[in-house]
Amino acid sequence: MSPNVAARAGELHQEQNAKRHVMVSRMFAALLVVQYLACVGAAFAVSPYAWAGKDRVLHMHVWVAILAGAGITLLPVLMALYRPSAPLTRHVIAASQMLSSALLIHLTGGRIETHFHVFGSLAFLAFYLDWKVIFTATVVVAADHFARGVFWPESVYGVTDPEWWRFLEHAGWVAFEDVFLIWSCLYGQRELRGAALRQAEVEELTEQEQLKTAALEMALSEIRTATA
Amino acid sequence: MRRRVLTAVLVAAAALWLGTVAAAYEAIRRFETTPGLPASAPRVWPAASAVARPADAWSLVMLVHPHCSCSRASVKELAEIVEKAPRDVQTTVLVYRPREMKPGWERTGVYAAATRIPRVRVLLDHDGAAARAFGGFTSGQTFLYDHQGRLRFAGGVTSLRGHAGLNRGRADVIRIARQRGGEGTHPVFGCAITTTNPRGEKP
Repeated sequence: MSPNVAARAGELHQEQNAKRHVMVSRMFAALLVVQYLACVGAAFAVSPYAWAGKDRVLHMHVWVAILAGAGITLLPVLMALYRPSAPLTRHVIAASQMLSSALLIHLTGGRIETHFHVFGSLAFLAFYLDWKVIFTATVVVAADHFARGVFWPESVYGVTDPEWWRFLEHAGWVAFEDVFLIWSCLYGQRELRGAALRQAEVEELTEQEQLKTAALEMALSEIRTATA
Repeated sequence: MRRRVLTAVLVAAAALWLGTVAAAYEAIRRFETTPGLPASAPRVWPAASAVARPADAWSLVMLVHPHCSCSRASVKELAEIVEKAPRDVQTTVLVYRPREMKPGWERTGVYAAATRIPRVRVLLDHDGAAARAFGGFTSGQTFLYDHQGRLRFAGGVTSLRGHAGLNRGRADVIRIARQRGGEGTHPVFGCAITTTNPRGEKP
């Protein structure tokens, strides 16, 4: 492989990645806004009011959904719009997506079904084909579990004194999915690099063909001039 | 210039993001872990409650505010208890209902969930009179009385506000009912039904 082809392949690979990052970041911007609206809707549907006898006030969940949801959503959406291909944007989006999952789980009273949002989000983040993004998301999930496990363990494990290995049980399922997603990211990048290399080779061959054709045309033109 | 403004906006959004996460965690932790007022339950079945105690049988009573979303978890846990406790435990759910509210006010998801539990009678507690007789203040408050009408358990059966799942309150009720002995208590999480005790005093 000539150095020119290698350099061009690297350039094409970067271009393809940048295009993909922009597209996925914008998809996440839309998703985060939809999730925000869904969180507020869920809060109003599941627990609109807190009651004291016959008196009612707006439930704390509604305030959390409106304010915390907006706070979590604003930064990644702005970054997705104004810095869509920056590496930091991907990591902020990954962290925010996991925090949205945590918020949604809380607003639905810890429903086990809502936990599927975490696994779906991890799969969606794999669209970036960047294994470091999966890692960031996993760290946020682990940090959330760790913090809640320390400060109010009942919210994660249902009991105040869980066995020490309960954390590993929860993290294990995320790690299980991570293995396949990280593998698919690495495999996807290898495919992209291969495609970029093939395109660079084709471009070089085309360029060589064009040079040959030009040289041939010049030679023909000289012959025609000589015979005329 | 535009670049500077954008950077400033992003930095401000990042600060807001971090602040929001920290504040939301603290608000949620406080909300979830702060129990309601515990009952000042009478040591024997309150005759003044107007709720008949089944003779020679253990009795389980839960007070419920029908509009308290957190009480969905309590009712879910009650269903779990009814399934695992001995079948002869008589279970009653007392659903709070203020008299001035329009008919059907109490027919909520919480009410419907309670009626779906087998072997459970659901009674309306007008103006919280029965709740006051039992000394209960908070939706989800559960009492277990033995066959002689002595109090064995008073407390909640969820681990946090609105969180169903394994917890010590539920486990204690099942254990006491199965072993026909012992006593227990557990924090109760839910909306307030009443804020005065049977003597009209505030705790």
